[in-house]
Amino acid sequence: MRIALIGAGGIARAHLPGWLELGARVGVYTVDGSAEKLAAEYAGHDVVAAASLGELLADCTAVDICTPTPTHKELALAAVAAGRHVICEKPLALNASDAEEIAAAAEAAGVRLHPAHVVRYFPAYAAMRRAVGSGDLGDLAVLRFTRGGARPQWAPWFADPAQSGGVIMDLMVHDIDIARWIAGDVVRVHAQTRGVEHATGGTQAEVVSATAVLTHASGVISHITGLWGLPDQQFRTTFRIAGSHGLLRHDSTSVPGYRITAQGVRAANEGIPSSPMTESPYLSELREFAASWQEGGGEPRVSARDGIEAVRIAEAAVESSRTGRAVELRTGIASDIKTGIASDIKEVTR
Amino acid sequence: MKVAVLSFAHVHAAGYLRLLSRMPGVEVIGSDPDTASAAPGEVRGRAFAEERGVAYAATYEEAFAWGPDAVIVCSENARHRPLVELAASRGVDVLCEKPLATTVEDGEAMLAACREAGVRLAVAFPVRFSPAYAAVKAAVSSGDAGRVLTVSGANNGSMPSVRRWFADPELAGGGALMDHTVHIADLLDDLFGEARAVDVYAQTNNRMYAGEVDAETSGLVTVTYDNGSVATIDCSWSHPRSHHSWGGLELTVVGERATLEMDAFDQAVHGFSERRGQGLELPFGADLDELMLRAFLYGPAEGGMDVADGEGGLRTLKIVTAGYESARRGVPVAVG
Repeated sequence: MRIALIGAGGIARAHLPGWLELGARVGVYTVDGSAEKLAAEYAGHDVVAAASLGELLADCTAVDICTPTPTHKELALAAVAAGRHVICEKPLALNASDAEEIAAAAEAAGVRLHPAHVVRYFPAYAAMRRAVGSGDLGDLAVLRFTRGGARPQWAPWFADPAQSGGVIMDLMVHDIDIARWIAGDVVRVHAQTRGVEHATGGTQAEVVSATAVLTHASGVISHITGLWGLPDQQFRTTFRIAGSHGLLRHDSTSVPGYRITAQGVRAANEGIPSSPMTESPYLSELREFAASWQEGGGEPRVSARDGIEAVRIAEAAVESSRTGRAVELRTGIASDIKTGIASDIKEVTR
Repeated sequence: MKVAVLSFAHVHAAGYLRLLSRMPGVEVIGSDPDTASAAPGEVRGRAFAEERGVAYAATYEEAFAWGPDAVIVCSENARHRPLVELAASRGVDVLCEKPLATTVEDGEAMLAACREAGVRLAVAFPVRFSPAYAAVKAAVSSGDAGRVLTVSGANNGSMPSVRRWFADPELAGGGALMDHTVHIADLLDDLFGEARAVDVYAQTNNRMYAGEVDAETSGLVTVTYDNGSVATIDCSWSHPRSHHSWGGLELTVVGERATLEMDAFDQAVHGFSERRGQGLELPFGADLDELMLRAFLYGPAEGGMDVADGEGGLRTLKIVTAGYESARRGVPVAVG
């Protein structure tokens, strides 16, 4: 297996160990020389920096796009044109029509397009989805999701909504996808954003916070909040899933499995690294993607359609936040399930 | 100090009778003549008072003839108005259960009656007496938290089952949206000072307790304020009915300079009772109802919280009524 890894930022660094674990040879390509740096860090592993994109695409099994969102479409279309399977970081694109275009090209070329909605592979979320699917909670009624942390400073493009789509499109799209995964398609969105959407990078910390309410075709309602917060805002995700017959709650910060309660000095984001208690969700995700290339390898839990719909809902939320109005959505997917469990979502005529 | 509790329809009547009975210097009677709405099996009227060892007046007339200094109205939401007007006509201060009323028209009439009679109208919002809320308020009013950007709140319980009128829209004015939006709306009414709600977007469903009640049992309510803040409130009756705890009230306030979280009821020792075969929760936090009653009867403590007034009660009611219209139409609705 030969993987073309495009990008060498945070997500590429999360994916790379997963690919190596799966036995892949990885060629890294970037436009800013960071591929060489990443490959050098992995000296002794099967990681090389590629000199050109064309060269890399010509000699790989699949392409892993881990670049800023505005570049996804061009790179994905190039990968598809080369006949390669594609896994693409979320959001697939900044608008649903671009996402549709990528998916249509992949379908026409007969290659896989896997939007990397990795939260579906986080064990707590996967366990919750299984419980919902088994009917443990009865009919879902009202869902809440929160996601927040310090404002991303490691790459300047996050600060610019024209590139990242802002906190709704870049961060809340995770929980938008999870809400749709468990409660089905969304027909109405209302959202509001407060604070500094476009960070200037000044000395004063700039916080942006957003709230969105989704109404699913099933009647389920979901509340999603996103926060790019102060520099000391601990990264944390929570969910609360309430149905007619039960309730599930999760707080990522309350169940670490392992904590360091003292290490002699107070270190900000440094010191002894936390030990992962479960397999990396990125590895789980890549394994499922890789298996899907094989005949009978199984359908990944994320489809291209899922990636498109997450973008469509996020786009509607951004529009609602701008206009103050609720936005109605029309999707082409049947929501045939009373419980909102999309165990067997079927495409209908579009 | 003589205090009469008028009607035992509301689930809080029992708590008020208990707290008032043990307050030194307070004499209490209850009166609950109008029990036609009670569901079979619900204990009301004289039997309810006797179970609690509280003196009973067979009619509201008799209760007022006793000469109370203050009354607490615990009738069904839609029946607050006649009792508040009766108290006003007798010149007696009144603490009215929340929500103030089920219609803005009723609420305005109650305010007018009390204003003209020169009696005090207070609304029973105990959570504003929470020490956790006091800490949030201090962080915001001192400026330490900076401008408030967003608020996310949840007030969840199970559907009240000991008093079934709570899910009867005729008597309750609705379901969970009417029952549970106002507590957090009241906190924000206090927190934001002069700021006012501009519009409300609400979505509801009745997938919880479906087939059992007609009222909405889940709701999400987004309120936009003229200070630029926006709040989303989960008012759902989404706490499991057989859970050993009743539910709770949580608030996250995102400011420009601090992120704050409060839980008004998380101060409890948790465990498990093998004898009962369920989880055990031993609350040790402040008794918010008691703090509220003391403030109503004796005035706020030095620098402390006062009870919500009728004007505030009307403002939170207007958020709820706008929420119902929004849920019906699927669009944000201006707060009247």
